[in-house]
Amino acid sequence: MTQLLKLWGGYVRVSTRFPAIATLVPFVPVVGLWMLVAHLQLFPKAFFPSPLDVWRSFLDLTWKGILPDYLQDSVVRLLVGTFWGIALGIPLGVLIGMNRYAYRALWPLLLFLQAIGDIAWLPILVIWFGYGLVTMTFVIVYTVLFPVVLNTVLGVRSVPVVLQRAAQSLGAGRWSVIREVILPGALPNIMTGLRNGLGYGWRALIAAEIIVGTSGIGFLMFDARRAGSVVEIFLGMIILGILWYIVDSWILAPIERATGQRWGLITK
Amino acid sequence: MKSLTLRNLAKTYFDPYAGTRVDAIHDVSLEVAAGEFVSLVGPSGCGKTTILNMIAGFLPHSGGDILVGGKPVKGPGPDRGVVFQSFALFPWKTVLDNVAFGPKMRGIGRSERERIAREYLAIAGLSHAADRYPSELSGGMQQRVGVVRALANDPDVLLMDEPFASVDAQTRMTLQEELTRIWSEKRSTVLFITHDVGEAVFLADRVVVLSKGHVLDDIKVDLPRPRKWDVLNQDPEFQRLSTLVLDKVRSA
Repeated sequence: MTQLLKLWGGYVRVSTRFPAIATLVPFVPVVGLWMLVAHLQLFPKAFFPSPLDVWRSFLDLTWKGILPDYLQDSVVRLLVGTFWGIALGIPLGVLIGMNRYAYRALWPLLLFLQAIGDIAWLPILVIWFGYGLVTMTFVIVYTVLFPVVLNTVLGVRSVPVVLQRAAQSLGAGRWSVIREVILPGALPNIMTGLRNGLGYGWRALIAAEIIVGTSGIGFLMFDARRAGSVVEIFLGMIILGILWYIVDSWILAPIERATGQRWGLITK
Repeated sequence: MKSLTLRNLAKTYFDPYAGTRVDAIHDVSLEVAAGEFVSLVGPSGCGKTTILNMIAGFLPHSGGDILVGGKPVKGPGPDRGVVFQSFALFPWKTVLDNVAFGPKMRGIGRSERERIAREYLAIAGLSHAADRYPSELSGGMQQRVGVVRALANDPDVLLMDEPFASVDAQTRMTLQEELTRIWSEKRSTVLFITHDVGEAVFLADRVVVLSKGHVLDDIKVDLPRPRKWDVLNQDPEFQRLSTLVLDKVRSA
C-alpha cells in the first residue's frame, strides 16, 4: 500500500514538473486496449489496423509531403474563417448588446439563421459558388460567427451598469466606455463564444472538405475511404483530436488564464 | 472645487404596473458651498440614492435645477466624481490603472498619469498595492481605491453613495477617519449619502435629513478637525448632535 502511495506521489511530482505527461497518461490504457484488440484480430486487419500501422502510415504520408500539405490547407482555412468570424462577430455582438433597437431588429434573425447550421448551407452554396474555397470559407465563417455574436451579446449585457457609470463619471465618452469597460467585461463570454465557434467551425470544415474538398484532412479521410484505406481514416481522426487539443491548450486556455481568471471574473 | 446647488429638484416616474405617477423626489433644495462636506441622511427608500444619481447625471431629473459652480449639469461628467457603494472598480485593471483612469480620459500621458495615481495611492497608504488587481484586495482596501480614484481626477464635487456600508465595522471606522484626514488635505466639495447617523455627523460640516422625498432638516456640525472616533465618542456635543439627527431620522 505504501509502495503504491509512493508511486502515486512520484507521478504527481513528475507530472507537475512536466504537464505533457499528465496529458499523455490517460491515453496509455486507450492505446493499450486498441493494440490488444488489433493483436487478437477480433476484427479483420483491413478494417481494424493496429496503432503501429497508423504510425507507419503517418510517417509515410509525412515523408511524401501529403499530410503536411493537407494539414496546412485545413489549418489555414480554419484561421481565415476564424479571423472573419471574429472581425464580424465581435462588432456585431457589441452593437446588438448595447443598442436595443439593433437588438430588437437583429436578434430574431440571428436565432433563425443560427438554426440553418453550417453544412445545411452546403447544397445551395455548391450551386452558387461551386466546389471551392469560397464555399468552404463561407461555411466556416458562418459557423464561427454565430457563437461569437450570441456570446458577445450575452457578455456585453452582463457588464454591470455601475462600471459604465463609473467610467462615465471619470470622463469616459461612448468609445472609451466600449474600449475600456464593455469589451474587457464581455471578454470571458467572448472567449466562450470563440471556443464554441472554433469547435463548431473545425467540425464544419471537416464536413465541408469531405463534401466539396480537394485537399485537407477531411478530404484525406474521405479519399482514403474511396481507396479502402482504413489506416488513413484512423490517422485522420487522430489528427483531428490532437489538433483540437493543441488549439485549446496552447491558445485558448492561456488567454483565459491571463484575462478572466486573473481579474477574478471567472472562478478557477 | 466648486459649489453644488439643488434648486426645487424633482423626480417623478410612471409606474407601468400600478398605472400611476410616482413622486420619488419633490422640491429638494440644497446648497453645498465650495469646500464643504455635507452628509445627506435618511431612512431607506427616502430617495437619497435617486438624488445622487440625478446629480451624477445617471438619471434625468423631472424638474428643478442641478448646478455645479452655477452651471447646470447635463449627463455624467468628470466634474462630478462618484464613489459607489459597490466600489465599481474595473476588475481588469490594476489598482494603479484604476486610479489613473480619470487622468487617462483627460488625455494625460502615461508617465504623468501614473505619477498622479501613485501620489494619490500614497495618501491612502496603498502604494504597495499598485500592481495588484481589485479582486486580490480586501473590501476596505477596494473602497480606499474607489475613493482615491475619484479624487485623482480632481472633480469639482465628490459624490459618495453609502461608500462604507459594505465593509466591516472596524474597517469602516478606519476609513471614516482616513476620509476626514484626506478631505482636510484636499478640501473638496463633498455630498455624502448614508443611512448611518453616527457616520453622517462624524464626517460632515452639515447634516441634511431627508424624508419621503423632501428635506426635513439641516443641522450644522461644529466639531473640531481632524476627527477621531476615540475622541468624539466621549464628546458631549457629538452625542447631542447624533441624538438630534437620529430623532429627526426616526420621525421621518
